[in-house]
Amino acid sequence: MRYGDFTPFDIVLLLQGLGVSLALFVSTTLIGLFIGTVWAVIRFYRVPVLMQLVTFVAELLKNSPVLVQLFLVFFGLPAFLKINVTPTEAAVITLSGNSAAFIYVIAVSAIESVGRDQIEAARVFGLTRWQILRRVIAPQATAFAIGPLTGLLVNQLQVTSLISVIGVMDLTKVGNILNLRTLKPFLVWTAVGLLYYLTAKLVTYAGARFEKRLRAHTAWKGL
Amino acid sequence: MISITGLRKSFGAATVLNGIDLEIRQGEVVSVLGSSGSGKSTLIRCINGLEKIDAGKITVDGFDVSKPRELSEARKRSGTVFQLFNLYPHMTAVQNVALAPIEVLKLPRMQAEAEARELLHSVGLTERADAYPSQLSGGQRQRVGICRALAMKPSYLLLDEVTSALDPEMTSEVLSILAALAKTGTTMVFVTHEIEFARSISSRIAFLDKGQLIADLPTEEFFSATGMALPRVAQFLSKMRKD
Amino acid sequence: MKFDLSILAKHIPFLLEGAWLTLQACTLAVLGSLVLGLAIGAMRTSASPLLNRLAAVYIDIFRNIPFIVQLFFFYFGLPEIGIYIDAFTTGVVALSIAGGAFTSDVIRSGILAIDPGVIEAAQVSGLRKITIFRKIILPIALRASVRPLGSVFINLILTSSILSTITLNELTGSAKIVASNTFRPFEVYFVLLVAYAALTYSVSILIGMLHRYLNRHQEEGAV
Ligand SMILES: Nc1ncnc2c1ncn2[C@@H]1O[C@H](COP(=O)(O)OP(=O)(O)OP(=O)(O)O)[C@@H](O)[C@H]1O
Ligand SMILES: [Mg+2]
Repeated sequence: MRYGDFTPFDIVLLLQGLGVSLALFVSTTLIGLFIGTVWAVIRFYRVPVLMQLVTFVAELLKNSPVLVQLFLVFFGLPAFLKINVTPTEAAVITLSGNSAAFIYVIAVSAIESVGRDQIEAARVFGLTRWQILRRVIAPQATAFAIGPLTGLLVNQLQVTSLISVIGVMDLTKVGNILNLRTLKPFLVWTAVGLLYYLTAKLVTYAGARFEKRLRAHTAWKGL
Repeated sequence: MISITGLRKSFGAATVLNGIDLEIRQGEVVSVLGSSGSGKSTLIRCINGLEKIDAGKITVDGFDVSKPRELSEARKRSGTVFQLFNLYPHMTAVQNVALAPIEVLKLPRMQAEAEARELLHSVGLTERADAYPSQLSGGQRQRVGICRALAMKPSYLLLDEVTSALDPEMTSEVLSILAALAKTGTTMVFVTHEIEFARSISSRIAFLDKGQLIADLPTEEFFSATGMALPRVAQFLSKMRKD
Repeated sequence: MKFDLSILAKHIPFLLEGAWLTLQACTLAVLGSLVLGLAIGAMRTSASPLLNRLAAVYIDIFRNIPFIVQLFFFYFGLPEIGIYIDAFTTGVVALSIAGGAFTSDVIRSGILAIDPGVIEAAQVSGLRKITIFRKIILPIALRASVRPLGSVFINLILTSSILSTITLNELTGSAKIVASNTFRPFEVYFVLLVAYAALTYSVSILIGMLHRYLNRHQEEGAV
């Protein structure tokens, strides 16, 4: 076996890379989901100053390249604040923030999709704003948001590939390493692409299943 | 001559036209009557080739509409006016009318647009010739629709409930144009629910019932004892008069 | 450390050169994805099942694989099969292909939204298929698609920052150089982030104006 050829271990390497991509994808999605929802609630309560700030930050994050955000966190923050930021930390911070911005937008429109009249009606019954949010808005808004969220997740999965640029050992980085070692770019990038593709399909499928279950559930409750 | 023989058409399991034989000669105005769902629109859509027919034959001046090669010749000879106008929303009235003459008849743009303006003038739209469909009233839109069909100088005009989307005032606006066309000898196949108007302009009435042509009579015979002798026709006419 | 932008002043001409390259790449890629998107979108709505299927596969592949993987596939792969093109051309080609997938989706929904009666009117007046496509379908679909196309193009601008990973010194690439020369990564990437946001924001304003201009006759009254 010549140095430079593929070895069976490369499959393990690819799967490890996929594991890192998935771990970051899942964790930053959950963090983003939390932050984005909190931002949307801030907006729902019309908290002065904070609300404008949140909107501004979200717009900035949505309208700038993730790669630049990543560089700002990974190269910029350590230089500016004299702190240590590892590639993984930078990846988690950036991807979470980016997901939060998009989830915020989806959450806001989901909340708005619940008619004003329903909220008025709930208020007449004497529910507090928090109760209205929990009992009236949240269930409906979730059902509304699943579709756009699935689309976002497929996109965010692809965005994780950028963290390879700052040295995180994700699937794309493994592709880079194999590419350099074997000099078989077509094979390597096709394999990497295929793994991403299959994962994306899985996310889409799961989203569709979840949406169907949710709709079936709400329909049943409505009877 | 438009000649229809043994025409059958079904959508899935539902037979909509079940053996139609009909001839329309030059200079005739044939009104097609029948209750809702009897297949009138489908008949028109078969003649201009928008629906594929299942059996039988339709020819326009000898050109078979089910043969792709001959369909374009057949379509050149007939013009269609639609219930919902179907104007090209991104073109002005003049552009709507001049498009087919330019693209199909290969007329120079200047000539085609001049002729289009003349047509629009003849239906009282001189001022509105450069307006877009969204800037026109329903009646004005339908007049543009009629001009667009006439611009190809068709031998036959196919009209499917061209006034049913219009209020009474606009309806009379459009009907008076059609009456004038009928007088000048334009051949028309006219699907309508306006019984009295059909009676005043047509030379013949074709009556469809559940996909079958149960009457094909000269207008006065249709509205006389001969027509009334057919129970479905009598029923239809009395119901229409009541409405 | 202080936040000090003045040190960037003397690097502005260099950054502007990068911005100019970004602009060129994006303009070419917008044109490329428009052409590809029209072709694929037309195939996707055509009556031929084969063309339809092919277009669907194209869209599916390029929408579900991260752009950076596609880019590496072309950048490292093409020389392998004897095609030597520079980083700029590779970048524009890759952006156009990926952008084409998103564009075609927009074009497709634009075409499907056209009132079928309008197309039938064109058919019965004897226009040839190709004429109907050029004179009726395309102008109507494009007018309706200005806004969604705008979002696709804005994404293209943001994505173009990834071209810096294949040694192209467009805006992000030149910022990287300035950051390492000045040891001021925070300031550099912060300015870069704001610059991209400002750029995409102005593009979105232009798109809004274009939309209003092209649809000026459609606004009053529907049907
Ligand atoms: N594309 C289609 N697919 C399935 N069924 C159709 C289609 N077009 C028409 N039909 C059916 O064919 C029958 C005849 O329809 P058609 O439109 O020809 O009737 P019509 O006589 O024009 O009625 P109306 O007076 O209401 O316009 C109806 O039952 C209709 O539901
Ligand atoms: Mg009808």
